[in-house]
Amino acid sequence: MAFDKMELKDIEVWDGNFAAAQALRQCQIDVVAAYPITPSTPIVEGYGKFLADGYIEGEFVMVESEHAAMSGCIGASAAGGRVATATSSQGFALMVETLYQASGMRLPIVLNVVNRALAAPLNVNGDHSDMYLGRDSGWIQLDAYCPQDAYDLNFIAFKVCEDHEVRLPCMVHQDGFMTSHTAQGVHTLPDDTAYGFIGDFKPMNDMLDFEHPVTHGVQTEEDWHFEHKARQHHDLMTKVMPKIQAAFDSFEKLSGRKYNIVEKYDMDDADVCVVCLGTSVETAREVATEMREKGIKAGVVGIRVIRPFPFFEIAEALKGVKAIATLDRSSPNGAPGMLFNEIAGALFNTNTKAMLSGYVYGLGGRDLTKAHLVSLYTELQANVDAGKVTTQLQQFIGVRGPKLSFLDQNANNSVDEASLNNMSKAEVVACAKSLNIKVLVKDSKATAIEKILAGSK
Amino acid sequence: MSEIKKIKNLKEFSTSADRFEGANLLCPGCAHSIIVREVLNATNDDLVLSASTGCLEVCTAVYPYTSWDASWIHIGFENGSTAVAGAEAMHKALKSKGRLKQPDRNPKFVSFAGDGASYDIGFQWISGCMERGHNMMHVVLDNEVYANTGGQRSSSTPIGSSTTTAPAGRVSYGEKKNKKDMVSIMASHGIPYSAQVAPNKWKDMVKKIQYGMEVEGPVFINAVSPCTTEWKFDPKDTMHLTDLSTDSLVFPLYEIIDGHELNITYRPKNVVPVEEYLAAQGRFKHLFKDEYKYLIKEWQERVDANWAYLNRREEARV
Amino acid sequence: MANTGWDEFEIGAMLRTFDGKIDDIAGTLQEDRTYSQNSSFSASVADWRIEKPIFSKDFCIDCQFCWIYCPDISIIARDKKMIGIDMDHCKGCGICVEVCPTNPKSLLMFPEQADEEAELAQWPAKESKEK
Repeated sequence: MAFDKMELKDIEVWDGNFAAAQALRQCQIDVVAAYPITPSTPIVEGYGKFLADGYIEGEFVMVESEHAAMSGCIGASAAGGRVATATSSQGFALMVETLYQASGMRLPIVLNVVNRALAAPLNVNGDHSDMYLGRDSGWIQLDAYCPQDAYDLNFIAFKVCEDHEVRLPCMVHQDGFMTSHTAQGVHTLPDDTAYGFIGDFKPMNDMLDFEHPVTHGVQTEEDWHFEHKARQHHDLMTKVMPKIQAAFDSFEKLSGRKYNIVEKYDMDDADVCVVCLGTSVETAREVATEMREKGIKAGVVGIRVIRPFPFFEIAEALKGVKAIATLDRSSPNGAPGMLFNEIAGALFNTNTKAMLSGYVYGLGGRDLTKAHLVSLYTELQANVDAGKVTTQLQQFIGVRGPKLSFLDQNANNSVDEASLNNMSKAEVVACAKSLNIKVLVKDSKATAIEKILAGSK
Repeated sequence: MSEIKKIKNLKEFSTSADRFEGANLLCPGCAHSIIVREVLNATNDDLVLSASTGCLEVCTAVYPYTSWDASWIHIGFENGSTAVAGAEAMHKALKSKGRLKQPDRNPKFVSFAGDGASYDIGFQWISGCMERGHNMMHVVLDNEVYANTGGQRSSSTPIGSSTTTAPAGRVSYGEKKNKKDMVSIMASHGIPYSAQVAPNKWKDMVKKIQYGMEVEGPVFINAVSPCTTEWKFDPKDTMHLTDLSTDSLVFPLYEIIDGHELNITYRPKNVVPVEEYLAAQGRFKHLFKDEYKYLIKEWQERVDANWAYLNRREEARV
Repeated sequence: MANTGWDEFEIGAMLRTFDGKIDDIAGTLQEDRTYSQNSSFSASVADWRIEKPIFSKDFCIDCQFCWIYCPDISIIARDKKMIGIDMDHCKGCGICVEVCPTNPKSLLMFPEQADEEAELAQWPAKESKEK
């Protein structure tokens, strides 16, 4: 059984889903085991249509759930061939168990994740809660900001994850609907060029090599588990990033399109910047340019490689920045956002003087508008001007109702008027001394305080 | 095209070179091992195997030891069947693309799983494999409990059995629900072959396994696996218990071809009363108390009714 | 296999049964296979036993019931004959004794410390069935 090649135009109008499907077609996958879920469904539909029209040679296993999809991919990958699938949200959550199994078994599998909110409540639109759920699953994770990225990063994914020195599965994330269902002029690679970039699949520890039978998926207890997990972490921390960089370099030579582990936009002299993922990166870039025209030195840092986490690359990109905002498109449910925490971790032991504040936005497909970002950059500039974070450390953008802010750093440094009214003179004196005299008072009370403080000196 | 291994008699069968090794962690007397040996020895073809989480997996692939002399995969609890299905799909893909390392070989794809993994948590996965028509065989090692975790009830646990989650106690006789008929459920998927086997009737088992391995499409095999630890009998009596299970007709041996043709494949010369089967196992000993003796009577009635039902189907050729 | 460091084993939760290539596993007897140190064939569970089987060749009819019903592949059959027990892999379950059809049995269980020669010398006689 053979297959037909496609003659693509240099630029094709594709949405993120179709771009991913085309990339998968060009990579000549051996087995795709997949299940439909909004908004990733068109990827598998596109793939199914290619198969029906003779553009693909390989098996397309239409399994009965996403957990079965990844299970089938694991079995196929262990058997020894090129494997891929796609999912979102609930399906991603359902297959989480198998994500850990796939990476622990060091099997190369490419998973296109079309990022969508996690229930409850049920939502089919784009946000990053599914992406965040899989953070620690041991997969390499790349982020596409637009259909072009979704197309290109699939090639990077196969090239890196199938490398015998890597042998780790790889996710390619793209925003649900905002990228997956939004068309763009995508610069294509011809079929042979695309396939040539990733090359033939080279099996390793393949079950179908009957002269070297292998046992996959052993059990390890307290005497062996730690060594296995340590090895996996070690390889993620040391082997993967150089391979990704090398793949980015080769891809640039091939296509002229340059990808970076951390995508810096106008960061050389930026005073304020936003760190984010997905389509927000492109919106922020537009706004940053507009802020520059207003005299605010704004920049944008997009994270391209989410895992392994570009710890030093991020710190390097943010060097010299005075106020940083992290934008998390997932509800942290009781904590600062993931990006806030990870950026804070990367900056902590450096000699940065940057102020860091976090924003939660865009849940369930709520738009992040340019107006939102203009306000955000303006707030960052206000922080720079004041020499401190003038807002609370975590704010929600774009949600109806009273303004939601959390983590008030100034709360410890102030006493509200109500408390003050109830204090005795002695308490006020003690309080003022211990608080470094940062007291929020109003009018007549202020005079009283001054008199007391003057009297206590 | 491979040839079916000729096994005229047990002496001939004993010339098989086992592809399952000892010094594993299974209990002394475990029937799982006997079943696995019979299945693997039924063919000389290459094998791609899986096991779902459970006694077999846990006892045969704990790092740094493997007891498997063929390619084998364990992913998790639900998905051993799908693992093999994925491997089978890869085999098909590589075959058509001319990338098989040993293209002339005709591997058999077999997944092993316990009743807990098959009847309960992995039900959907097996159903999917059967529905999609993969050329594979799923073998259930049916010991009627979650044995590996200490004997909790599964949907294969029969009425009156004492398990740790449905124990016999002062006000309960243990399991209240009867076991699911997985052989029929899977046969209803329209698969070419679904059968019940027992390791004591090795010739019947081997014949069925060979048929299942040769037929094109998915095959479901339910193998009774008396468990010395959870059924509570002496390890040396495993084969005796298996004899009781088949000869009392509690585990009738039959096959369903193409979902609609049932054949009974073993008719005991002397049918043993169900009471004798129950009496041999500690998990049923409370049924012999006066207040629960009626359950033994009901057991016999159920077994008789089931046997009559199987006979009717065989006669009617459905 | 000694407990090695994180950098000293093959990646993935994976083990190899054999050292090097093996052509036709089903057509190669165990003694001719190149088992790796990771095959449980290389290990022993002899210390599990409290009782052990002793085999008396005199009465054996090579029926192979013991071969097929041994869970631990510890009955060694070659050329259709029962030739012995793999005492590294035998767990002492006693199934072989139960299924042995000869009279007297060709396999009997004895305490682990029993002396094989002595027991063979005083093997029980044929049991007469009382009508």
